[in-house]
Amino acid sequence: MAFGGGGFSMEWGNTLLDDHVLALTGIERPRVCFLPTASGDADHYVVRFYRAFPASRCEPSHISLFRRETGVGDPRAHLLAQDLVYVGGGSLVSLLGTWRAHGIDLALREAWEAGVVLCGGSAGSLCWFADSVSAFHEGPARCIEGLGFLPWSNAVHYEEEAARRSAFHEAIAAGMVPGYGASDGAALHFVGQELAEVVSSRPGASAVHVSRDADSGPTEVGIIERELGVRYLGATPVPLREGEAIAA
Amino acid sequence: MGGGGFTMYERASALDRFVLTLTEKPFPKICFLPTASGDPREQVTRFYERFGAWPCETSTISLFHLGRDRIDPIERLLAQDAIYVGGGSMRNMLAIWREHGIDTAMRTAWERGIVLAGLSAGAMCWFEGGISMSGGAPEPVAGLGFIPGSLSVHLDGEVERLPTFRSAVATGALPPGYAADDGAAMLFRGTELSDCVVSHPGARVVRITPDGQGAVDEQDLPTRLLSRAESTGPSRTESDGVAELRALRAGRRRWD
Repeated sequence: MAFGGGGFSMEWGNTLLDDHVLALTGIERPRVCFLPTASGDADHYVVRFYRAFPASRCEPSHISLFRRETGVGDPRAHLLAQDLVYVGGGSLVSLLGTWRAHGIDLALREAWEAGVVLCGGSAGSLCWFADSVSAFHEGPARCIEGLGFLPWSNAVHYEEEAARRSAFHEAIAAGMVPGYGASDGAALHFVGQELAEVVSSRPGASAVHVSRDADSGPTEVGIIERELGVRYLGATPVPLREGEAIAA
Repeated sequence: MGGGGFTMYERASALDRFVLTLTEKPFPKICFLPTASGDPREQVTRFYERFGAWPCETSTISLFHLGRDRIDPIERLLAQDAIYVGGGSMRNMLAIWREHGIDTAMRTAWERGIVLAGLSAGAMCWFEGGISMSGGAPEPVAGLGFIPGSLSVHLDGEVERLPTFRSAVATGALPPGYAADDGAAMLFRGTELSDCVVSHPGARVVRITPDGQGAVDEQDLPTRLLSRAESTGPSRTESDGVAELRALRAGRRRWD
């Protein structure tokens, strides 16, 4: 579940997305592990996680990769024992470097293949994809190779930061794999590698699919941006048939 | 530095000040990198608190907030007279530096004569290897290798590192090297050790070499207590912070 932005770190008081990912586990009191790596394991972020995911509704934990001498001893085993892994936002480049140094990238793939629900916003969304354009925390916009569990590209805060959209279009025109842009409050729900649904915590949140126009000429590359159907989680849920969200 | 300095709340400011004097500039540029701790705001605050009252131009680089700062970290690094690296997770710091190209920028900085300083992870990183707690238990971790040999830090403060260091040197997992107390620092000019300085009497630097029989030889190196001229701090009755604030308010741009 890839949030364009939202969840407890960005929408304090609006628990729709966080409630939704908890429900996706299908377990009454799921084990939830927070990875605040992209923020440098910022204390205030960890505290907010525990306030948003109290022991009354789940079994919360977090892994600090900057203070390994405390806390979880074996991150891989711990991640594999979870029902939900929640990745916080921040710097994607620093996140990926730190994860690779501790083998967290491989552990997350194992967890994903074992059916653990993976979610996150901002850098915690971009990391799951093959490629992304990062501009917020990384200085000038550039293309960053992620973990590649999802063989698409991704852009977050898509409506909120105009530069992201143009950078995303340019990168796809230049040959980056097609992918998805999501605004704050919109979350892309993938089952395996395929998009199953887009949900939102705000009525106006949007998500798009962006690809190269196959018919465009050699000198001018066209971009096709398709608006995706979004199910607002605040309203009475209307069941969607498979594929409908994408076709809408 | 085996430890000490502003990030460890060391009241004596001798080691921090010593870093500035090494630049031999009247108004050096000094940049602090707290990467190994995940760029916590609190360390950045304490950097400005300590160095802000001294005659120098201060800046920091946060690799977790590059977008906010909108700077090219490499350009900023190479514009410095001194670079001060904080402690924390050596493994994380080096991994993040590699992603951002900071490792090669550091070598360029060093070759250009920029003073490279740091404590703990920020000290071991310059060597071929050190003993890091980045994985939880103490273990040998490779560094950037600018300085031949190895370093283990917090000799007095974190005693669990030393047995691991001894056995790593004895078995050859790490090259021969040094162990340093909190408050003890080694000055290398190029790759040669030129001086061991301490901020308080009794702080040790120990040379550790394999004895050829599966154990190690340990030899205390002579140290020099930084003199008042090099490290003049505030009077004993007030903290560094208070004294520096006073100095700042008075508009003083002097060493003491």
